[in-house]
Amino acid sequence: MLRAPVMPLPPRRSQYGVAPELVRKRAAELPDMVSVLVRDLFPDAAPVIYPGEGGLEVIRTATRKQMEKVDLSMIKPGDSVNVLGSHHGFTLLGGAPYAEMLKTIRDVVRERTGCTDIRLRVGVGLRFRESEEYIKSFGLDEYYEGKAAGVAPVDEGVAIETEIGTLYGIKKIYDARWIIHAHNSDVREVHFHRQVDRAVKPFGMSYARIETRSTYHQNLGPRAANFVARAIFDSPFVQEKFACAIFLMMSPSGVVGVDADNDLYALNDRVTYWGCRDYGKMMTLLGEIDEAITILDFPSPVPYVFAAGVIFANFAGANRDIFDLDDPLPPYTWYTEAFYGEDGRPLIEGVPPVNPAIKVVIHNYAWGGYPSAFFTEHIPTVVVGREQAELLNRDPQNISYTKHALLAEDLDTAVCFAKRVAGTDKILAFDGASGALNISRSLGEYLLQKAPLVSRRVDEELLPKWLKQRGIDPSRFKIC
Amino acid sequence: MRAVTLCAVVDVDKCKGCTRCERVCPVLAIKVKSKKAVVDVENCLGCANCEQRCPEMAITMVHLEQSRIVQESLAEVDMAAVIDLCRRAHLHPKQIICYCTATRAEEVAAAILKGAKSPEEISRRTGVRTGCKVECIQPVLRLLHAAGITPERPARGYQWYGLTPTVWDIPEEVKKKYAQRGFYFDEDRKLLDSLVGASEKGGR
Repeated sequence: MLRAPVMPLPPRRSQYGVAPELVRKRAAELPDMVSVLVRDLFPDAAPVIYPGEGGLEVIRTATRKQMEKVDLSMIKPGDSVNVLGSHHGFTLLGGAPYAEMLKTIRDVVRERTGCTDIRLRVGVGLRFRESEEYIKSFGLDEYYEGKAAGVAPVDEGVAIETEIGTLYGIKKIYDARWIIHAHNSDVREVHFHRQVDRAVKPFGMSYARIETRSTYHQNLGPRAANFVARAIFDSPFVQEKFACAIFLMMSPSGVVGVDADNDLYALNDRVTYWGCRDYGKMMTLLGEIDEAITILDFPSPVPYVFAAGVIFANFAGANRDIFDLDDPLPPYTWYTEAFYGEDGRPLIEGVPPVNPAIKVVIHNYAWGGYPSAFFTEHIPTVVVGREQAELLNRDPQNISYTKHALLAEDLDTAVCFAKRVAGTDKILAFDGASGALNISRSLGEYLLQKAPLVSRRVDEELLPKWLKQRGIDPSRFKIC
Repeated sequence: MRAVTLCAVVDVDKCKGCTRCERVCPVLAIKVKSKKAVVDVENCLGCANCEQRCPEMAITMVHLEQSRIVQESLAEVDMAAVIDLCRRAHLHPKQIICYCTATRAEEVAAAILKGAKSPEEISRRTGVRTGCKVECIQPVLRLLHAAGITPERPARGYQWYGLTPTVWDIPEEVKKKYAQRGFYFDEDRKLLDSLVGASEKGGR
């Protein structure tokens, strides 16, 4: 069941990455690379609606259908509505499905409520113009009649009183009578949120000011931190504005649907179940890999480059069960990073090491704009091309990234060197390939052999434990 | 410790004097004078906040001819006082509090003990808050608070708004209410306490 490599989407032009023409060769073009489909690894994976023959029209239809079950009667013709998006949605399958969902939401709200003052506000991570790039790229500014804006966590703030004290949101997120939370269920940085309140998280992240995000990453601890988003969402200030939530439902195979609800916690339970099940299988499988060379090859910052729905940071933590909340600290979070001393040794016992199966990382194509020196300090790294190195050297968040890395002139040289020093021919490319992993033949055969056991273990042993830790009754989802 | 390699340069033809750059600069190194932004090159730490938020795209980051290091020395400070201040802020002196610059709590504590009284002043002395500009404001405010200092917010600026709760502040009724939803308040408090405790025991 090994197939020809899936060619990843082309490099994206952005101020956070090198120019597309400087990405001279992709990992998928290396000799001996093959692909394995997610559905070949896990035949019970949920069916995908996109990519598919129906194209983007399927997303539009699914969004309209799901929004039919949502009450929008609270929105009056003279009201203002902010549709709230997040930058990560645009990195899924090239961004077009998420953009289509955002466009459809605007159309439906206008048709059903008569409201004309509908704005789009798209939050970001640590690259403050990233959302502006996506808005322009997908024509969302025109679609929202000039009322689409990227918002950053350093923009003007608003104090929000919560059950645990004052937290801070971005003023422009909340400057309408109503808000519609338009997100996706991609689990992505599960090492941080641990699939706890995933659907609520943007209220403490994409829609939040620096004070709140710093609270999440510094003040509460690696598991309790998830409460920050719930505290904000539950506040009277937000509840008074909240109309509904609409999510692009993702899996490692692609888009599996659209879901919408006036009750965010009901949607959150569904996201938790499917996230733990499908992404849990893929991450548990990554944890079975005994040795590998990892190639970063996607237009996202280092930890966020992804393959088959999971990201490099997940692989860096795959030596532990990231979903198991009894384990206090994953091998990579900012809490983990903070707990290493100057000599590179942990300050306390129990800090898990970065996945020792990753022998070498080849940085063929990845963006700056996220503090990533932790990875080059802990994993031997080869950066391909001076342009990539210079990009990181110019990045205020990565001043010491290349200090710990080697430089190779081209991808072939880097791979040849990595194979020699790592003593393995197992290669795993994080290149954004859709519904599949691009890998070397040896690793493909290894994963196909391991997958059935992993699937059974997740279904029978791990999933019930993960759901219980999150207060989810699995019997509610058996019919799905 | 912060290596400063870049500096902001303003294109005065594009600048409309909106003051956004002034409001987001973490070290107050850019000011609008006569409706044009002017960079204080000596104090700019190259964080690019102004470049990232300027609505006119009027700011570019350029390489400095000579880079420089911004760092608060621990040499002339009472280390017992540093450790005590960190402990009161629930921080291990050696823990990183700024991931981009790898600034540790002890360096910020030293800056405070040597007279820094605001996040902006601390950033100018240590480089903290000049990488991603997002994640390290709370430990800085916690250390100032532990030192008994209530800093003054920059007038009309968006640099920071205020101190927020920590795991040590979570009300018992909140813990009880959400006990079944995976938040693990007490367990995480124990983890963070063990970190602080490690320094108190004279450990690493």
